[in-house]
Amino acid sequence: MADADLVVRNDIRSAMWNPGGWKSLLTFFILALAWLAGFSARLFAVIRFESIIHEFDPWFNYRATHYMVENGFYNFLNWFDDRAWYPLGRIVGGTVYPGLMVTSGSIHWFLNLLNIPVHIRDICVFLAPVFSGMTSMSVYLFTKEIWNPGAGLFAACFIAIVPGYISRSVAGSYDNEGIAIFALMFTYYLWIKAVKTGQVFWSICSALSYFYMVSAWGGYVFIINLVPLHVFVLLLMGRYSQRIYTAYTCFFIVGLILSMQIPFVGFQPIRTSEHMAAAGVFALLNAYAFLKYIQNFLTKSEFRYVFFAAVAISAAIVFVAVVGLTWAGYIAPWSGRFYSLWDTGYAKIHIPIIASVSEHQPTTWVSFFFDLHILVCAFPVGVWYCIKNVNDERVFVVLYAIFASYFAGVMVRLMLTLTPVVCVLAAIAFSKTFEVYLKDDSPKQNQKNLDENGENKNDRLYDKVGNKKKIRDEKPKDEEGLGINVKSIIVVALLMMLMLFAVHCTWVTSSAYSSPSIVLASYGQGGSRTILDDFREAYYWLRQNTDDKARVMSWWDYGYQIAGMGNRTTLVDNNTWNNSHIALVGKAMSSNESAAYEIMRMLDVNYVLVIFGGVIGYSGDDINKFLWMVRIAEGEHPRDIREVDYFTPQGEFRVDAAGSKTLLNCLMYKLSYYRFGQMQLDFRSPAGFDRTRGVEIGNKNFELTHVEEAYTTEHWLVRIYKVKDLENRSEVKTPHRPIKKSKRKPKRQTVKKAGVIRHKPKITKGKKIKTSSAKSTSRSSSKPSAK
Amino acid sequence: MAAYISITAFIFSLFIIVVFSEPKKKEETLGDRVHQLMEWNNKKSIIRMNGEKFKQYVKAAPKNYSVVVMLTALQPQRGCSVCKQANDEFQILANSWRYSQQYSNRLFFALVDYDEGSDIFQSMKLNTAPVFMHFPPKGKPKKGDTLDIHRIGFAAEQLAKWVGERTDIQIRIFRPPNYSGTVALALLFAMIGGLLYFKRNNLEFLYNKTSWGIIALAVIFAMTSGQMWNHIRGPPVMHRNPNTGQMHYIHGSSQGQFIMETYIVMLLNTAVVVGFIMLNEAQTMKGDPGKKRILSLVGLGCVTIFFSLLLSVFRSKYQGYPYSFLFK
Repeated sequence: MADADLVVRNDIRSAMWNPGGWKSLLTFFILALAWLAGFSARLFAVIRFESIIHEFDPWFNYRATHYMVENGFYNFLNWFDDRAWYPLGRIVGGTVYPGLMVTSGSIHWFLNLLNIPVHIRDICVFLAPVFSGMTSMSVYLFTKEIWNPGAGLFAACFIAIVPGYISRSVAGSYDNEGIAIFALMFTYYLWIKAVKTGQVFWSICSALSYFYMVSAWGGYVFIINLVPLHVFVLLLMGRYSQRIYTAYTCFFIVGLILSMQIPFVGFQPIRTSEHMAAAGVFALLNAYAFLKYIQNFLTKSEFRYVFFAAVAISAAIVFVAVVGLTWAGYIAPWSGRFYSLWDTGYAKIHIPIIASVSEHQPTTWVSFFFDLHILVCAFPVGVWYCIKNVNDERVFVVLYAIFASYFAGVMVRLMLTLTPVVCVLAAIAFSKTFEVYLKDDSPKQNQKNLDENGENKNDRLYDKVGNKKKIRDEKPKDEEGLGINVKSIIVVALLMMLMLFAVHCTWVTSSAYSSPSIVLASYGQGGSRTILDDFREAYYWLRQNTDDKARVMSWWDYGYQIAGMGNRTTLVDNNTWNNSHIALVGKAMSSNESAAYEIMRMLDVNYVLVIFGGVIGYSGDDINKFLWMVRIAEGEHPRDIREVDYFTPQGEFRVDAAGSKTLLNCLMYKLSYYRFGQMQLDFRSPAGFDRTRGVEIGNKNFELTHVEEAYTTEHWLVRIYKVKDLENRSEVKTPHRPIKKSKRKPKRQTVKKAGVIRHKPKITKGKKIKTSSAKSTSRSSSKPSAK
Repeated sequence: MAAYISITAFIFSLFIIVVFSEPKKKEETLGDRVHQLMEWNNKKSIIRMNGEKFKQYVKAAPKNYSVVVMLTALQPQRGCSVCKQANDEFQILANSWRYSQQYSNRLFFALVDYDEGSDIFQSMKLNTAPVFMHFPPKGKPKKGDTLDIHRIGFAAEQLAKWVGERTDIQIRIFRPPNYSGTVALALLFAMIGGLLYFKRNNLEFLYNKTSWGIIALAVIFAMTSGQMWNHIRGPPVMHRNPNTGQMHYIHGSSQGQFIMETYIVMLLNTAVVVGFIMLNEAQTMKGDPGKKRILSLVGLGCVTIFFSLLLSVFRSKYQGYPYSFLFK
């Protein structure tokens, strides 16, 4: 009995004092807490508003997911969407990365299998927060491979709350990036594992994970260029080994074949320049391996000869092949978006539609600091120590840091790819510092620890003697070390900075990244909150009150929302694949009403939707975006639309009385400000005072001829107009016209009607009958004015 | 005798000149003038004009060609630095037209220097330079025929756009390719190659981790402090307040930045990183504990002080940011 008791107690004690057990328990708890913190930090929007899909692109993803859940995967792949890009339509299955839809669809299917009925919308809303937890797991694994588990825990905590990643993964922002960052980091983890072990298993795993990434996000190009770069740099550094050969060849071939299975990617991996680096490195690696093999059979001088010949010949062949294939059109040159990453002035000159998107702008230091806070200062330290203690996998992380920071500098959007590596490297910096300063070096305690350790490790560590010796060696060193006071000061200071980081992250998430942007909130003086739900009001009106086949014209920003919430056909949407179609809509918006009417008739438009923020002071409205419409329209129709016409002679863009006439009469202006001139918002400002621009509008009392107001939401945020049908008879406007008609009509009538006297002279009293020649001149002079 | 002959030859030649140049001046037909302009244009893409020529070829009534004239002051003593830049751009425009596929006698580019034709400046009441004017084939130049330099500027592309608007002739600008970047790059590569070649027996420096580390950090600091933004947007170095004359190094809003500001941020970032490295190196440094202690405290000071400076700069730019550390 007592014996058994002792054994049990011993077991418990050994379990309690087994550092391995504690470690894994702690690790588990910390990771679970990181997951929980990351998940709950992303719920601000859901708690403040409701469980809705945010912004623009997510609405399309949601619509596509909904379609897939209803109609099955194969129908989804074959889906031709006739409700977008009227009259062209869009082949959705072939122009979308299906990873996101498949992921949430399969979660939905699995939950339904377990008899848990969840609406697909809720899965879509909460997918990104759940995946952020998985991202922190994979970042933990990655950092563990790069440095040590302690740094891994730091990295997992950092990535869970860092605003740079939260910006794309709050609840409701149902976008590709939400799951793609997980896939990215997991692929990198598996790649590092493959490089370290040289096992086929790991590199196949990384290829599979790469496949998931390809199916989820266009950013997979980053992986397929970074991994070959890693291999190439390792070759240059003379770190070639069998492990790298196995890892890369397996990864490349399997990854290539798998990536081509995605319909949207198709044959791109073997035909576009973005992917050529990977193929080139594959060839190089094989050539290098072959030479290494040859080296075994040849003498040194022979080998040198063979080496140079082989290098020269292969370089020539590769160069000729690439140039020839590019020239023949088998390899497409770099796409515009990709090209603009290198030549930073390219997009601005050639592709205004890329330059117009706000997330393609370069990054200021403020947004670096805003998104990364202390990590942006700390992560170069990680780079420094990775270079100082370099090995195969640290080369990778250094390359990743350098290239990602370059890309993030060029485009705000790519901050997202920089964020994980910043977390990893900052975690290395902090964990290294804490390792130094948290080590307890007061000699007494150390002795005690040592005894306990020695006792309990007795049955595990057989080299007790050696262990003791080590610590004894360390002891004198510790006495020389920094005092406990200095250490605790430093630790406390660093902890305070980390706390500041956590507070900053929460503040940024709550204030900047948690607005759904379809529901707006404004705060009164007493902190009272008003919800402006105009967007959904308007879209719901469209859904309920218009014909099912009605075509709605709007600027492309709102295309996905109209299709998703209003379920109506749109002309252009956020998938900006057809620049000329967008330019046509831009042209309609920036022409005067009658010219616009022609375009709208041509495009079969029934309704026009504009966003107008002048009443509530919403700055993201169409008038503020208007110059981009003009610019894009000018790119395609330089004869009809000129940007200069929309500025005042002083070069200002203004909507008040001093604004240019073209602006004050274009369709966008009229649709935005129709009846606004009669509206007085408060007693201090005149009628027609635009709160967004802070001016009284210039063109107040005008009527619309070809369109009529159909619906305006509560705060005037969305205004919908119906395009009138052609009139039965066009109104006569010019006074000269009847003269022209009076000349023609008798001629026709003469043929048809019988019993009318031909060429009956018209007699007016007191005047001579006009001669025919006089009439003809008057007609010819009236002609241009009538036309 | 010889003198006599030479005098008669002189008189004769004078006579010839007078005889042949006189009718050219007075009764030159449209065809002749176009021919003459084409001939000049064959030699030079910009025709230099004085007052007389200007009247004859630009202002004279019947013409079927447009002339774009730059009225400028290129003489160094005039001290017009803008004119020089404008002249270069104008030259590019004229050359692009001269060597384009659609080159014809519908459009000519001319230049009038103030020191050669001040009368033109007076007759047109111009007292600034450079001025770009378009003289249409029919009628007098209107308001839009004078380029608004302050608004549009005088980049060749803008000039071409303006010319296209006025004359319906679209000119594609061909800038002579700027080889300086390529040459610099080639030189750099040559230097690196040369260095490697001469040092081929001692390539130890390639394995120097410190220098590689410094290079890597330099790239990262440049990017995270927004140098790429400067490169693309080209902001001013700093801003002088016109009312008070005070210098502003920091842009007031979070949307923009000055070049000086990015340097300050880069320095602050570097200081924080150096502080961190000091903190870490303090432990491994050999020497007496006092020195270690000082080093680690200095490192801590670097990290906290410079980070809070950075935070306060950020706070001053980002309105409504509530947090600060050490400093306001």
